[in-house]
Amino acid sequence: MTDSRERAAAHYRQYGPVVYRRCLRILKDPEAAKDATQEVFVKLVRDMAKLEDRATVLPWIYRVATNYCLNHLRNASRRGEDAELPDLELSDQAPADLLPTRAIAGQLLEQFDATTRTVAVGVLVDGMEHEEVAALLGISRRTVARKLERFLEAARAFLERT
Amino acid sequence: MDATCTNDLALEELLLGMPAPAQQDHVERCAACQARLAEMRALGDHFRQYVLPATAEAVLDAAARPRAWSLARWLAPLPALAAAAAVILAVGPAGPPADYVGEKGSATMGLTVFLQEAGLARAASDGEAVPAAARVRFKVRPAHPCHLWVLSVDGTGLVSRLFPAAGEGGRAVEQTTVLPGGAALDDQAGPERFLAVCAPEPVEYARVEGAVRAATTGGPGAVRALGAVPGLPAGTLQSSVLLEKRR
Repeated sequence: MTDSRERAAAHYRQYGPVVYRRCLRILKDPEAAKDATQEVFVKLVRDMAKLEDRATVLPWIYRVATNYCLNHLRNASRRGEDAELPDLELSDQAPADLLPTRAIAGQLLEQFDATTRTVAVGVLVDGMEHEEVAALLGISRRTVARKLERFLEAARAFLERT
Repeated sequence: MDATCTNDLALEELLLGMPAPAQQDHVERCAACQARLAEMRALGDHFRQYVLPATAEAVLDAAARPRAWSLARWLAPLPALAAAAAVILAVGPAGPPADYVGEKGSATMGLTVFLQEAGLARAASDGEAVPAAARVRFKVRPAHPCHLWVLSVDGTGLVSRLFPAAGEGGRAVEQTTVLPGGAALDDQAGPERFLAVCAPEPVEYARVEGAVRAATTGGPGAVRALGAVPGLPAGTLQSSVLLEKRR
């Protein structure tokens, strides 16, 4: 086995479960999560140096996996493969007026850019603090708050229409 | 779980053995977090039992796959290329180090090969041993306006067209230019010489390629010893840099 394969194997054993859990959390489908895990890790092993930076590897993996799975959902929805996006379970930190409609986040996500989608999922689904999402994405806390507010405004407008 | 519970990312840190103390304290006292942690552990077991065996080969192949010269890299969107060039200009050395010998050939033509390592770019020395799958970019400094080709030849005599990726005649350049895009070496051990050839008038790639091929038919030794490539139009500026690919 070459050095690059050995290193990739070690990283896949260590971080593969992280990617799989993240993908399953978003995609809600074990088979889709398996395929997504493979695709995400194929991307990750192309930057072995980042995989070996213990200080930053986890947020990076999380971000890549989240973006991949959200894009997967969006593309599947556009192709009409799934009539509806998965029913993302909102965290208890989501605004109370959104809680009765758990699918709202999923239905709205595809209307936003990748960063906003990750912000929304991070805060509303994962229950992460704004600071944590900011660190995950490498953006300011203020930007997180602004993007989340835009998302919530759209969600409320959507609720009023339905 | 309630609003104070630890999120999945923090639980992943815990599973990887790098949790913040406050998170660890909370999880030890929180039944909901412990249940989620147990669920995540079970998913990890499922990954190792079913997902890993079914997907590992594709992942490991991707990690070990030789990266052939990719024309697509040269055809990437212009904003990305401009950004890449800006990065090189920003992080590249302001001037050559004392032992720098990264340019050869005509005194009126310069070629710098940048190696990308850990997100930084540095100029390679002529003859330097580099990882066989290293990523490289180029900067040329013609003494006067001319029509540029950048190509490489390896120890097997394989000539690769690097820039411009499309079109004929060579790219008109007038001054120091960081070439857009870049390429990854092919992960094969041996010498690889990069050549910048800049002719006063447009010249067909086939002629340049033929001249380089004819000059390097002697195998790795010929590639290492190559000086000016004969058979090119009069007034053609030349420069080359040799890299020794190591696995």
